[in-house]
Amino acid sequence: MKITGKCWVAPGYVMAYDIITQPFWTSPIDPKENARWVMAGVAEEFNRENGFTSQGYTFIVAGHNFAGGGKSIEHVITGLMGAGIRAVFADSFSRLQFRNAINYGLPFITCKDIVKGCQTGDQLEWDTETGLIRNLTNGNAFQSVPVAPFVAEVAEAGGLMNFIKKRIAEGTIGDLR
Amino acid sequence: MPGMTITEKIIARNSGRRRVMPGELVWVNVHTVMTMDYLGAQTFAKLHELGVKDVFDRDRVICVSDHLVPPPNEKFATLLNEWRRVVREHRITHFYDLGNQGIAHQIMVEKGHVLPGTISIGTDSHANTYGAVGALGNAVGVTDAAVAMATGKCWLRVPESVKFVVRGQWHPYVMAKDLSLYVMGMMHWNGHLIYKAIEYTGEAISQLGMAGRMTLCNMTVDLGAKNGIIAPDSITRKYLRGRTSHKYAPLQSDPNARYEQVYEIDLSKVGPTVARPHRLDDVVPVEEVEGIPFNKAFVGTCTNGRVEDLEIMARILKGKRIHPDVNMLIVPASQAVYLEAMKKGYLTTLVEAGAAIDTPSCAACAGIHTGVAGDGDIVLSAGNRNMQGRMGSKKAEIYLTSPAVVAASALYGKITDPRKLSS
Repeated sequence: MKITGKCWVAPGYVMAYDIITQPFWTSPIDPKENARWVMAGVAEEFNRENGFTSQGYTFIVAGHNFAGGGKSIEHVITGLMGAGIRAVFADSFSRLQFRNAINYGLPFITCKDIVKGCQTGDQLEWDTETGLIRNLTNGNAFQSVPVAPFVAEVAEAGGLMNFIKKRIAEGTIGDLR
Repeated sequence: MPGMTITEKIIARNSGRRRVMPGELVWVNVHTVMTMDYLGAQTFAKLHELGVKDVFDRDRVICVSDHLVPPPNEKFATLLNEWRRVVREHRITHFYDLGNQGIAHQIMVEKGHVLPGTISIGTDSHANTYGAVGALGNAVGVTDAAVAMATGKCWLRVPESVKFVVRGQWHPYVMAKDLSLYVMGMMHWNGHLIYKAIEYTGEAISQLGMAGRMTLCNMTVDLGAKNGIIAPDSITRKYLRGRTSHKYAPLQSDPNARYEQVYEIDLSKVGPTVARPHRLDDVVPVEEVEGIPFNKAFVGTCTNGRVEDLEIMARILKGKRIHPDVNMLIVPASQAVYLEAMKKGYLTTLVEAGAAIDTPSCAACAGIHTGVAGDGDIVLSAGNRNMQGRMGSKKAEIYLTSPAVVAASALYGKITDPRKLSS
């Protein structure tokens, strides 16, 4: 499958703390709700209701340690999903949010140096099978690291909760190893 | 065939494999799952969403009140009431609530809920602390915790391992915290430690007590690592004696284990160290920031709220009085730490010096409980994070350092090298 859309390029280090700011840490985990104030701490222009979501970005492009800082809150992922983000491409990801992304089925795709070849507003095309990301605006292309089968399986099930629910129903939890 | 690191061996053992390779995704059996007041109700709600009524083992789901106790406002009081209700509903055996509380990671280690060679996870980022006893400690979100509470299982990616060999002797006023910050300054968040297992080893680590080991492993999450670990030895066994009735089988790295990188650190080059606002990797030796004035001093947290931390501060502040412009808040990491520090006289010394002692909790560390920072505050803290707004106001600045530097500096109201104090 090929997904095409506009990207937002992180100007520097993006922390989980700024994707979801402190007043919203105890909000219910809900994509619509969390999308209202997602990215509020990342840039002044996003610090208003639906400030980021209303921009209509499909992808985020970032450098190292995307969503770092050590916050485990899952609102970070649901907020981005609620804002219409279909994948994040970065040099590396914070471990906690990398897990959360897998558990919710939002692709966090490792792609070296992509941040150097994109500008906010560029149109990208991501081939989910081959991992090739093409920048349609400037002609650059990047090969990302392929997604592990387990990750695809969880995404296909609609996230880890559904994946586990199904296995509990089937009585196959013991087979997980 | 190459050998395995301690982290690889722990994952192999607990996933029923003979060996694992970095990059592999595996399901492991967890020894314990920790959740706490701040995210616990969400975690139990997720458990119910799975259609599961009971946790996999009531003895192995550990519940702790630490972020919200005692509640400073109605919102927290109400969250705590809901939390207590769900914990009781599930008849959890080990519930550490106000009166028996402590910061979750301190409780997990201090009460013997983490053991060498096993895996424990928790819904708070500093679960890396458990590596101090040679366990694999990992922070997870509420979904992962709920799945583990239902099934006793968790998926893990086997990390590449990076080894730090630390040689030399500890100066009396140089602490594990200084070493953590030194490593942060050396590595930055440039990908070299992201998602890695950090193994601390060498003669300087063998000499380090359990408090220092907990500090070192605790901060590995802030370095961006998956886990931090120190191989169990006689210090570990002595520490665990009387804390657990479980049998455990410690693991060690093979001599021919594979590491992505090995770094050597000479302790004679590590002095008291400070991270400047607002980046943890903006690290300098204390000499470079000496003389900077501050108005708040804070020591506590799962990083530096232990008896040994209070002891070194008491030694520095004994018979002295802190600067009148400094507000100093000290928060022991648990009730047990509080009691021991009280019996040993450290709390008396600290109060006589002009410090305020607060009830064990996460306090101001996450900016949501006692002692938060307001506009214009300059805080000298022995916590673990200094990003803008971490302790409250975005218009505050946080310098992060060791308890020894905080104590010495509190005497003068400006950042001071504890090695320069006349004894």
